[in-house]
This record gives sequence, C-alpha cells and structure tokens, in this order.
Amino acid sequence: MTDRSSVLWRTVATPIILVVGLLVIAYLTWQFGSRPFNRTVTEMFIQVMMVVGFYVFVGNSGVISFGHVSFMYLGAYMTAWLTIPPFMKSVTLRGLPDWVLQTELSFWIVAPISALFAALFALLVGRIIMRLSGIAASIATFGLLGLVNNVYSNWDSVTGGQGSVVGIPPIMTIWIGWLGAAIAIAIAYLYSISRSGLALRATRDEEIAAQASGIDIVRERWIAFIVSAFIIGLAGALYAHFLSVVSPSAFFLKMTFIALAMLVVGGMYSLTGAVVGVVVISGLIDVLKRLEKGIDLGIGTLAIPNGVQEIAIGLIMIGILMFLPTGLTRNQEWTWTGWPFGGGSKGS
Amino acid sequence: MRFVKTFGTLTAVAALWSAPALADEIVVGFATAESGFMQAYDKPAQDAAMIRIKEINDAGGLLGKQIKVVNADTKTDQAEGAKAGLAVLDQGAELVVVSCDYDFGSPAALQAQAAGKVSFFLCAESIKAGIQGVGPFSFSSSVLAAVQGATMSEWAYNKKNARTFYRLLDSWTVYNKGICDGFDWMLPRLADAKLVGEDTFKNDDASIAAQISRIKALPQEPDAIMLCTMMPGAVSAIKQIRAAGINSMILNGSGVDGSYWLNAVPDLSNFFVPVQGSIYGDDPNPKVNEFNAKYKEFTGTDPSSQYVYPGYVLIDVWSKAVERAGTTDAAAVVAELEKMNEEPTLFGPRTFTNEIHHQNRGRYLIVETTAGKPKVVDEWTISEKIPVDYLVSR
Repeated sequence: MTDRSSVLWRTVATPIILVVGLLVIAYLTWQFGSRPFNRTVTEMFIQVMMVVGFYVFVGNSGVISFGHVSFMYLGAYMTAWLTIPPFMKSVTLRGLPDWVLQTELSFWIVAPISALFAALFALLVGRIIMRLSGIAASIATFGLLGLVNNVYSNWDSVTGGQGSVVGIPPIMTIWIGWLGAAIAIAIAYLYSISRSGLALRATRDEEIAAQASGIDIVRERWIAFIVSAFIIGLAGALYAHFLSVVSPSAFFLKMTFIALAMLVVGGMYSLTGAVVGVVVISGLIDVLKRLEKGIDLGIGTLAIPNGVQEIAIGLIMIGILMFLPTGLTRNQEWTWTGWPFGGGSKGS
Repeated sequence: MRFVKTFGTLTAVAALWSAPALADEIVVGFATAESGFMQAYDKPAQDAAMIRIKEINDAGGLLGKQIKVVNADTKTDQAEGAKAGLAVLDQGAELVVVSCDYDFGSPAALQAQAAGKVSFFLCAESIKAGIQGVGPFSFSSSVLAAVQGATMSEWAYNKKNARTFYRLLDSWTVYNKGICDGFDWMLPRLADAKLVGEDTFKNDDASIAAQISRIKALPQEPDAIMLCTMMPGAVSAIKQIRAAGINSMILNGSGVDGSYWLNAVPDLSNFFVPVQGSIYGDDPNPKVNEFNAKYKEFTGTDPSSQYVYPGYVLIDVWSKAVERAGTTDAAAVVAELEKMNEEPTLFGPRTFTNEIHHQNRGRYLIVETTAGKPKVVDEWTISEKIPVDYLVSR
C-alpha cells in the first residue's frame, strides 16, 4: 500500500484533473468544432504551456518575469533551423553552420532539442539575473527580452532578420497541443512538489526565515528559471509548427503581457490558476470575436463593433481582479480527496 | 466546480459556424485585416477588388455563376490569420485573398496552399509572397519592391543623366531592404554610374542629422539619393534632407506615393516615385481615371495611394485564368495564370511563370513632385528581369 501521507499522493489529483479536463476540451473540440475552432483550441494548449512555464518561475518564486517570452524565440527559431528543408534554408539562412544547413530532423527529435537549448540559455544567463531580487530582477528579465529580440531581429543571415522564416512543417494537431500541455503540467507539478520547489515557495512567503533555515535563494530561483525555460522553449517549438512561419514580432510584448494577464487572472501562485486563466481568457476572447462577427438570432444579427473585444477583455480582467485579487482560483489548487485519495470529497 | 462551467461555455461555443456554398456560385474568400494597423493597407485594395467583382457579376458572372464574397478578419495577427484562412476555406472559397504584407498574409495563404486552393496576396512586394514562401498555388498581384529600386535608378540614369548615387536605407522592414536590393542589382549595370556613399537609419529615428552631415561632407552633392523607406518615417527623413539644403533628386519606392503627407514638406521638388497607376487624375490610360471615379463612387473617397490598384488586378487576372481554364480547379487555374505573359491589365502588364508568381519586371509610371504638386512625367520598364536567384538570396 502506498504511503497515503506522502506529498505526491496528497497532491497528484491536481495535475490529473487539469490534464483530463484539457483532454475533454480537446475531444469535444475535435468531435464537434469547426476547423478554425480546432486551431483556436490548439493555440490555447500552446498558451497553457507558456503560462504554465511562467507559473513555474513566477508562481514559485514570487518574482514577476517579463522575459520568459525570450525562451519562445529560442525554441521557435531552433525548431525553424532544424526542420526547414535544406534547399530552403541554404538560400534564406546562409549564415547557419554547414551541418545545420544540411540537417532536417523530425518534430519529435527537434522539440526536445529546442527545449533543451532554451534551458541551456537560461542556465547561462540565469546565474547572473537570479542574483538580483524584487523589481530589479523583473526589470533584468525585461532587459533579457529586449536583448534577445534585438539579436533575433537583426542577425539577418541566421534568423532572417525582421522578415518571417518560412518552411517549418505544419504538423500541429489538437492532440499534439494537448500532449504538450500535459507534459508542461506534469513538469510544473513535479517541480513544485520537489525539494527545490518547496524551498523556493518558502522563500517567496518568508524570505528571511527561509534563508535562516539554510535555503540558497539564488540557487533555487536559478533551478526554477531553467525548468520554466525548458517548458517555454518547448512551447516555442510547438508554436513554430503551429504557424509554420516565425518572425521576431510574434514573440514580444503582446505575448508577454497576455501570458502574464492569464496567469494573474487565474491565480498567480497556483498551477490550476495558470491553466484556468488560459482557458477562461481564451474562451472569452473567442466569444467576443464571434460577437464582433455577429451572431444570427433569427430576428436579426447581434454584433458588437470591431475592436470591442480588446477593450472588453481589459475591462473583464479589471473586474476579475477587483473582486478576486488572488485570481479566479484564489491561488488554490483544484484537488480531489475522495476515492482513491482517501477521506470525504471536497472541491476547492 | 468551477471548471465544469468553463467546459460548458466552451462546448456551447464549439457548436457554431458553417455556411456551405451553393452550386451556382463561386466563392471568393477575403482573409484580410478588418481591424488593427494592417487594415489601413488591406481595406483600400480590397475595395478595389470588390469593384472588379461587381463588374464581373454585373456582366453575367464568371463561368455563368455569380461570385459570392466571404470575409474573415485576421485582426493583424498571424495566428488569427491562419484561422481566418481556414474560416473562408470552410465556406467554400475557391480563391483566398490574403493580407497585403507577407508576414501577416502568409499564415492564411499557407492554409489555402494546404487545402489545394489558389491564394493571392493583396499587394505584398516580397519574393516570398508566392512560390518561394508559400507554395505553387500562391501569387501576388503587385510588383516586387526590388523592381521599384531598379526602375528608379535606371530611369534616373537614362532620363535625368544621374551618375552619382547615394543609398540611404531605412532598415525597419523587408520592403525597404527590397527597394535597395533592386538598386544594388541595377547600379553595376549602368556604365560609369557610381555609388558615392551609403548609410542606414531606422524609421522611428527622430533625427537623421548624422546621416545628413555625411552627405553634406561629400565633395560634391550626389546627383540622386536612393531613399529606401516608407511611411511614417519617410516624411521626417525627406523633410530633414531638404531642410539641410540638399537638393539632389530623391528616388523612392511606391510606399511614399500619395499626396496626403505633402503639406508636411512644403514646396517639395525634385522628388520621384514609381507608381502602377496614377491617383492624381493624369494617368495616360483614361480607363485608370475612370476607375478612380468609380472608386470614389464606391467608397466615397479618392484612392489615397497606388496600393489600391493591385486588388483590382488580382481579381482581373484570376478571373481571366478561370474563364480560360473553364473551371475553378486550382491546378488548372494556376496553369492558365502561368501562361500569362505580359498580360495587359489597367495597371501594367502581368507575367507569371512556374518559377515566379510575382513581377520581377514591370511597367512603372514615374511621378514627379514639383513645388508640392505630384504629376506623372514619364514611364519606364527596366531593361531586363531581375533574376529570381538574386531575389531569393537577399
């Protein structure tokens, strides 16, 4: 019999609920949704990965990061470099090393490589940035984003500069999207119950007490930074296959702020919050977009003017944060304490 | 539980959509920007396309069927662009018209390509907007940016006796680089023409004083400045060049066409722009002036720049190809389009081959602005085509 008091046993219901919940969404969409709607949901899964990646760092450390979208760049462009057919990239990306120009690998190999590349980058820069704390660390991550954006926008022979890089095989399906989200949730969960995750959350809640107990803040933040970079790098790889073109303008401020908004609306300090934030915000955006298009009510068409969607999303987010400052989940995890996890049932 | 509610909403939302095409209609889908900054570029060209569609429908339709138009908004966003492409394809689009710019139009064009349908960029001017960046069913109806740079330099050399050129590039967009690429290709072909200097700036630079002082430092003012830039930064750059007392002729791409900004640089002279058709009422082809009147009747305003015209051209060449093929089947239509060699349109001839679905040569009208008044003064077609290999390698 498993030891029922272990952390794993008490909390494993959360990732299971989330992953199964997303599976239900995926199945219903695949069964009943139109093709554009399938793409919306696939994109939502990639956003789940991205926001879960943000959560691993922001949620556990309490340090807001504006720089994690740089790992999207790293993942997406690495995927582009390794999956575009050689005859295309040898003309457009001539600055790449020869062996890269000759390589054309499959998605299943390239996606983990892209994620590892992002993690490796985080390993190098994290050592420096993680020494900072509070707002200085946030601004430093923002600087990182600016730096990566500038390199990718201007290194023409390697990244194609401002223009789009084309030729990435469009293999994304809703199921690969779901799988990516499930992997992201699993990694985030395992990290958060790990020794490092617990230690990092201790520093978030009581920094001085945690330090007095012998926790090395810099080291724990550094680990979270690397894990989150891995997840977001993987999201970048999937995003590249999703759009099949990558351009530097896709991964910048808009993406950063929408990801942070989703995380804050859902509940910044909980994994459930990260996932719920994405599902709710993308659901709302989709409903509003349909209203902009107009919905036929038989007696007439109900439509709101173009552009209202962006305003409405802003207002709704303000509303949510006014009444639920800790997010829709109030920073709680969805759990299940019924069978087989023992004791009576209780939702959050 | 909260997540049950979320699922409910999502599934309810999922069950919407779908409008099958009728057999006596041909559907043309516009996956273009109806909101966001690209709308300013897409809307005028799309209006011109609608005018051509109306003309065809009024004359009895295409293959005896009426053309039905469906729309989806890309919201000036790449991910939305792909969805918009799928949305119009699901409504039976035989032709997918996509955003003016390669970056924003390609996601929808790639969906059309994957579905085996023809796609046309409204006015993209990059070699990628076609076979090279989307696939064999994708076209653009405009003329490559490189042709604009090549046209201006060859014309100035031959007609204005320009021998010394200065190259000033705004490295903001691929379009700007494209103009200068064409200039770079043409210059060595012009005997004893010389590049006396080159420099770059960024569209949002408040001041280009440093660049200007380098021009002023030359022993002699260059005959012509090849200015590869676009709005909005172009206005400030031009103003500063003239304010510094540099009176060389300024050569540009089509991106600065239009008179809406001219009062910002009073009495601008010696300023040249290549255009596919004139919006100033003085086009040598009277039919273009008729079109301008029709456009005003249709939209309530005059065309603001030459970028309305490619929209008209694309419906024109596509419908001709459909008539000739006798079907809307993509492979047959593409084969007919690729047979077009110097096919006359209101706005210059169009040639498509199985190597390039864009114009690497094209007739341009030259508009000269004198004392703030733009006027067509000449027309020019470059002496040879810019090779595809050169264009792709830039």
